[in-house]
Amino acid sequence: MCMKNAKCFETLSIFFWVQLVSLSIFSCSEKKEITSYEIPSEYDGPVVAWNLPESWGENPDLSGPMAGSFHIKTELGPSGRIGVMPFREAVATRDVVNMFGRELGYQNFDQESLDLIVQKKKIGDKIFEWVPLTDQSGSGESRMVLLALLRKDQETWLFPFIADSPLVSQEMKNFKTFLRSVVVRAGKLPIRARNPIATTSPVPSATKPTWEAPEHWIPGKPSSMRVGSFLVRGENGKQLDFSITSFPGDVGGLLANVNRWLGQVGLNEVDESGLTNYVSPLEIDGKSAQLVIAENDEKSLYAALLFQTERAWFFKMIGDSELAKIEKKNFLGFLESVCFHNH
Amino acid sequence: MPETIQPEKRKRKSSVGSRRKLLPWLVPFASVRLTLALLSLSMVLIFVATLEQVRIGIRGAQAEFFESFYGIWHYPDQFWGSDYLSFFPIPIPGGYLLGGLLILNLIAAFIVRFQWSSKKIGIQLIHLGIILLLVGQLITQAKQVESRMMINKGETSNFIERFHGVELAFTNVTNPDSNQVVAIPQELLETGGLFKHPDLPFGVNVRRFDRNCDVTIKQPDQPRQGLSKEVNRGVGFTSNLFIKEKDEDFSMDALNFSFVIFDLINDSETMGTWLALTHPAGNHVWESVSPQLADFSFQPLRHQGNLWGMTLRHEREYLPYSITLRGIENEFYQGTEIPFNFESKVTINLDENQKRDALVYMNTPLRHEGKTFYQYQMNKSADYTVFQVIRNPSWLLPYIACVLVSIGLLWQFSFHLISFLKRNKPTPQMA
Repeated sequence: MCMKNAKCFETLSIFFWVQLVSLSIFSCSEKKEITSYEIPSEYDGPVVAWNLPESWGENPDLSGPMAGSFHIKTELGPSGRIGVMPFREAVATRDVVNMFGRELGYQNFDQESLDLIVQKKKIGDKIFEWVPLTDQSGSGESRMVLLALLRKDQETWLFPFIADSPLVSQEMKNFKTFLRSVVVRAGKLPIRARNPIATTSPVPSATKPTWEAPEHWIPGKPSSMRVGSFLVRGENGKQLDFSITSFPGDVGGLLANVNRWLGQVGLNEVDESGLTNYVSPLEIDGKSAQLVIAENDEKSLYAALLFQTERAWFFKMIGDSELAKIEKKNFLGFLESVCFHNH
Repeated sequence: MPETIQPEKRKRKSSVGSRRKLLPWLVPFASVRLTLALLSLSMVLIFVATLEQVRIGIRGAQAEFFESFYGIWHYPDQFWGSDYLSFFPIPIPGGYLLGGLLILNLIAAFIVRFQWSSKKIGIQLIHLGIILLLVGQLITQAKQVESRMMINKGETSNFIERFHGVELAFTNVTNPDSNQVVAIPQELLETGGLFKHPDLPFGVNVRRFDRNCDVTIKQPDQPRQGLSKEVNRGVGFTSNLFIKEKDEDFSMDALNFSFVIFDLINDSETMGTWLALTHPAGNHVWESVSPQLADFSFQPLRHQGNLWGMTLRHEREYLPYSITLRGIENEFYQGTEIPFNFESKVTINLDENQKRDALVYMNTPLRHEGKTFYQYQMNKSADYTVFQVIRNPSWLLPYIACVLVSIGLLWQFSFHLISFLKRNKPTPQMA
């Protein structure tokens, strides 16, 4: 009996060992754990990354062309909206600005009028096109859209900041810090965001003024936003370009526009106190306007700004300095002839 | 003469006898009856698994009956008397149990039953070959990894993907030269819970994982329902997906949509809840299913100035070399759609200066660094090829086993033939 029990035990033990050996073979298979490794870059898409300011939060409904969407944490809850949108290389600043401008009640901008409101701003090692747009609907809202466009590697990155004006001002430092931290890299694959299609919206004919131009001024073709256009030719191929443009709102105000024009003739920007060096009062059709004269040895700019309740009017002549001096009298005479027929 | 042979016989017998005395517990395992019983049970196992293959597919039958110690068989509904018999679960000995016992049986026979003499060396070699075959199969079951590599014509690939099994991969793509990948395998996703890794700047809390589901895209204004109701970030949120759990399909043409719902945790604060969904044909297919689902191949996450991409994909293994598909050919038997030959011309890029051209076609695989690339699928109109990639560390064992069995058979038959010829040698006639 004792022998039989021993044999039985041995048989069971060998059976146990066989199963143990079998199990050990299978337990030798790779144990699963979190793996971490480095690979050559295989991501073809665009890269955009940032450091988010502490007072900002991410919006969960990120979709479509948006690469990022944020809000500002306020005592009343999430407020404002900051976005990151990649665009194809072909996107024009004007199309982007018109896309947002229409929502704020702006008429469509053309290139000429766009130049009035677009600024270049260097933040960190990046240069942004900086476009502030305010609510033009006349509803009394203080809504504002600040567009920052970054051109890099043949692509455009748009950072729209949409909020009430006071909040935009309050968060301006954070917005700039955010833009400074942004890392962007164009992808090999096309970006899914689409080029916005702009529609033209000319100045209403009812508000269009009339004028009398000298006979030797050659009328040019008006564009979507260029209400009037003339080419003035002088001797030895000298030329002047005269344009009449109109925009909804104040398109940045007097200082911003003067500084932009000063840049066009190679002069340094000025502050409010320096405006008097270039700006003098003027009347156009009985309305208070500003005359701007900015010139150097080669190039001159004569312009008149008229800020009406809903629109701003710009009469600008730019070109050869010598010819401009000759045509200055004609320019001032032209301004005197302008009539809006609304009085 | 008999007097001279008898001592040798006694010696051989005493050799087997002494081994039996030394290892008496091994004797029952060397039984021929046990061999026959195991072989009979193996036949039953194959029969049952073949029947069950109709119900649960090849992969299911393999996992249930061959890659286990036992399987449960239910009497098929189509058979006579199924109304009464299909309720009873019938345990069937599994592949591991029968294989293990067969190995033991053969080893035991080797030790306590076979005569260790030159006369019987053929028998020993044959059995050694069979043991090697069984051991090789066991190692294959445990160690073999099956993957696939898909390459478009003219393009290069440096990774393979498992046929079965997914991983939740986080890839930091901020650096233009190299990407950091952190992958959580399916086995861990199935356990759920919070996962952290030094290379991952946030924690991943897996709420739910399943190997298959039904997916429906709901209208944005429809209320959120189903398993993805709690999702508040990423494609799962913007697309309003309705996820319903579903049993895994084991059939050959199975389309299993694995999914995982997870939170990302930053300094004990949740950053949101995401859904990741894998497409059985590869996540690049999502874009053609619906543009709004395209991000399932790369759900972006910005964190601490870095761009991370998240995706639930088939478990991926990157190779230290890459393969470029230079050309493909497929031929069919005339007038039929039965493939005659699939052929892929490839270049293996070992490093910048070292390249190797190879031709992979049916039954002629490419072997490189422990992996075998078989021609698996091809689509000439779409200009891509798919290789089945097998990593089997014991791939040589069956060949060695076959050689051993062949030598053993040759030895044994030759020995008997020579003995027979010697016995029948005509005695010279006396003049």
